[in-house]
Amino acid sequence: MRLDIGRRRALQALAAGACLLAVRPASAASAELDPVLREVFGGREIREGRVTLELPRLAESGNVVPVTVSVDSPMTPQDHVKSIHLFAGKNPQPRVLDTQLGPHNGVARVSSRIRIAQSQQILAVAVMSDDSAWSAAVDVVVTITGCGD
Amino acid sequence: MTTTFKESRRDFLVKSAAVTGGLVLGIRMPGLAQAAGDATEVTHWVVIQPDDTVVIRIARSELGQGSFTGLSQLVAEELECDWNKVRPEYADVNEHVRRDRIWKDMLTGGSRSIRDSQEYLRKAGASAREMLVAAAAQQWGVPASQCTVSKSVITHSASGRSTTFGKVASAASMLDMPENPKLKDKKDWKLIGTSPARFDVPDKSTGKQVYAADVRLPGTVYASIVQCPVFGGKLVSYDEAKVRSMRGVKRVVAGEDWVAVVADNWWRANQAVKALPVQWDEAGNGDVSSDSIMQFLRTGIDAKDVPVARKDGDVDRAFAGAAKVIEAEYHSGYLNHATMEPQCATALFKDDRLDVWVGTQNGEATITAASETVGVPLENVYVHKTHAGGGFGRRGPHQEYTRQAVTIAKEMPGTPVCLQWSREEDIRHGRYRPVTLVKLRGALDKDGNWIGWHARQADQSIIVTVRPAMIENGIDPINTRSFRDNPYKVANFTNEYAMRNPHVPPGFWRAVAHTNNPFYRECFIDELAHAAGKDPYQFRRPLLQGTKDLAVLDAVAKAVNWNSRPARGVHRGIAVVDSYGSYTAAAVELSVEGGSVIDVKRVIVAIDCGNVAHADAVNGQIESGVIWGLSAIMHEDITIKDGRVEQSNFHDYPVLRLAETPTIESIVMPSGDFWGGVGEPPIGAVIPAIGNAIFSATGKRIRSMPLKHHGFSYKT
Repeated sequence: MRLDIGRRRALQALAAGACLLAVRPASAASAELDPVLREVFGGREIREGRVTLELPRLAESGNVVPVTVSVDSPMTPQDHVKSIHLFAGKNPQPRVLDTQLGPHNGVARVSSRIRIAQSQQILAVAVMSDDSAWSAAVDVVVTITGCGD
Repeated sequence: MTTTFKESRRDFLVKSAAVTGGLVLGIRMPGLAQAAGDATEVTHWVVIQPDDTVVIRIARSELGQGSFTGLSQLVAEELECDWNKVRPEYADVNEHVRRDRIWKDMLTGGSRSIRDSQEYLRKAGASAREMLVAAAAQQWGVPASQCTVSKSVITHSASGRSTTFGKVASAASMLDMPENPKLKDKKDWKLIGTSPARFDVPDKSTGKQVYAADVRLPGTVYASIVQCPVFGGKLVSYDEAKVRSMRGVKRVVAGEDWVAVVADNWWRANQAVKALPVQWDEAGNGDVSSDSIMQFLRTGIDAKDVPVARKDGDVDRAFAGAAKVIEAEYHSGYLNHATMEPQCATALFKDDRLDVWVGTQNGEATITAASETVGVPLENVYVHKTHAGGGFGRRGPHQEYTRQAVTIAKEMPGTPVCLQWSREEDIRHGRYRPVTLVKLRGALDKDGNWIGWHARQADQSIIVTVRPAMIENGIDPINTRSFRDNPYKVANFTNEYAMRNPHVPPGFWRAVAHTNNPFYRECFIDELAHAAGKDPYQFRRPLLQGTKDLAVLDAVAKAVNWNSRPARGVHRGIAVVDSYGSYTAAAVELSVEGGSVIDVKRVIVAIDCGNVAHADAVNGQIESGVIWGLSAIMHEDITIKDGRVEQSNFHDYPVLRLAETPTIESIVMPSGDFWGGVGEPPIGAVIPAIGNAIFSATGKRIRSMPLKHHGFSYKT
């Protein structure tokens, strides 16, 4: 994934603002995600920690939600992040983002904007160079709704 | 009179803003208790002052439906506080976001305020009570179980000691909040189900109520707006020079599809925006008309294969073997919410902080819209909710007035900007109850039994514009309500759905699909009964056996004395519908004079909403629902020409008048094992009951709204 520097900075600034809101770690990925996670990671254990997921807790329509994932990693040839993934179990396409990283990135951080179909938990997973997988999750509420019975 | 009144109200606001030392935090809203500095937050729901005043935080919005009172009753019932010292206040939206959505859902819509929050609000009261008792018991060194509570007084009779909530609040706030406090048995409720005086009524009756349009901060400037008259269009250019020198004009600010003039008062801003030359790009929608929209809907009726929302039995076989087949098409057009208070918001952007004063049906939607529009993080956005001058679904998901106000405010840092839409903008830029066209076919056997039913719907989806993920297999789950979930036991039933979305922005109009689908369904069932030579009430009864629908239907039939002959010239209609978790039925009596003047004599509505929080508020919602329905079926119609709305104000978009309003009787019959909504359900039942009574009176079957297009009017 490539982002030009200006846009990345803007996104980081936005995300920095948003991160003051509590980011709640997920105890477990939601059931909808089980098959998707199996497809991407096989049976690999996904542990909580090392990953920071920054998202606004409230999104108006969910159409354009800024997101930043960063991972606690020195990003050296010996110890770095290989990939970062984002999942939204209640989206029509739950597999939202796959990125490949390496020591050349210098810092383990990706920013983008994603679409969130409805209120749900967003899951970020990072795979390290030792093949361990780490995660963080955030509940996002899409506020647009109405009087529908 | 009016001028004096407005001046005094404005003075009050300016003074109170000055007293609180600034424009940012300090508007003191009459009728709202602002927790004083020495008040203690026992829990996030309950704040207690030393004088025993109990402030109950309200997350939902007061739109006139009585939520401030009803929601407070739920908390106070379990808290055992002195009701005379209860003061509700809005839960702060900014704090809500900072405290991890501590007050849960803030949405005020879908007839959900009471039914969705009743359990956690009763628990909130019970938790606070347990904490207060525990604090008193600790001070006395006695077991909490030996203490009793009544009207904010905690007593330990064995030792003859007593104290009050105000005295132990501080100690109680240090204790952990019990997560699962014991709730009262329903038979012990003293407050829930009664009708204490409403908190919102006195200030509204005396003119003290501060609505968004009344908010005045020192140095406020005023904005009036014009939006692209053709939906979906964009702003191309405007000639600012033409208005720049007009009296009082300060700025012209533009958005993607709107332009606003800011001036030192609203009249000048509005004069200038009306004089502003503006060019729009109509985005190819400039030739859309009500006729072309109708043709578009017809493609959904004529289409060969469309998604199937429900299929029971074998409809084709039922029709093949039918003795009689009835077929009818029903439709209705766009409707505007026409809230008494046109859309309005005041915004102030200063030092990276954004403040917004607005009447909203969802504080979370407002804070998010404001934050996303100008890129100010949520925790720096402060939404000050005012009671809304009517909501009806207009002020919930669609926050464009908030977005416009904060956009203008960001252009003028440090200056409060009050954006007030004109009535004309409000009528022409609503979020309209969408258009629908329905083709219904019914099969009767030789004995007049209803054996087959086919419902093909073609209509515009609201959900696809706001929550597309809810659409499955092309079916709108809301627009198919009343058909796909109908309570009638008909063995062979197919419900097909064809979504057709014109360019007009749709919205959730009070009762949503239950403003039209019950009209179609219940009038068509009367058509079947007529074809079968059966009484419409008796025709329905066996098909509703074992449902809660039957009980409310029987109740209105009994109340109107259905089995007796009405007075000479008087005709009856009946209908039943379940919606928003409740069951409603309506019976009406009317006469039609000269074949066109309808004199509605009685409207009876029965509702089973499971449980009742504020009894008189339920009556109030029935009355306002009947008025809402009578208005829709007779008067209201938004038509489209050249891609834009033809109506502009109440002269061509009239609503029901007092003189047209009949006697309304309510039968509230909560059966107890659930909590249903009351704000919307009555509407669905009253509209078809009127349609059916008109058929009974005239032999003319009305298959579209409004009645004025069929030559009818109400007697005044």
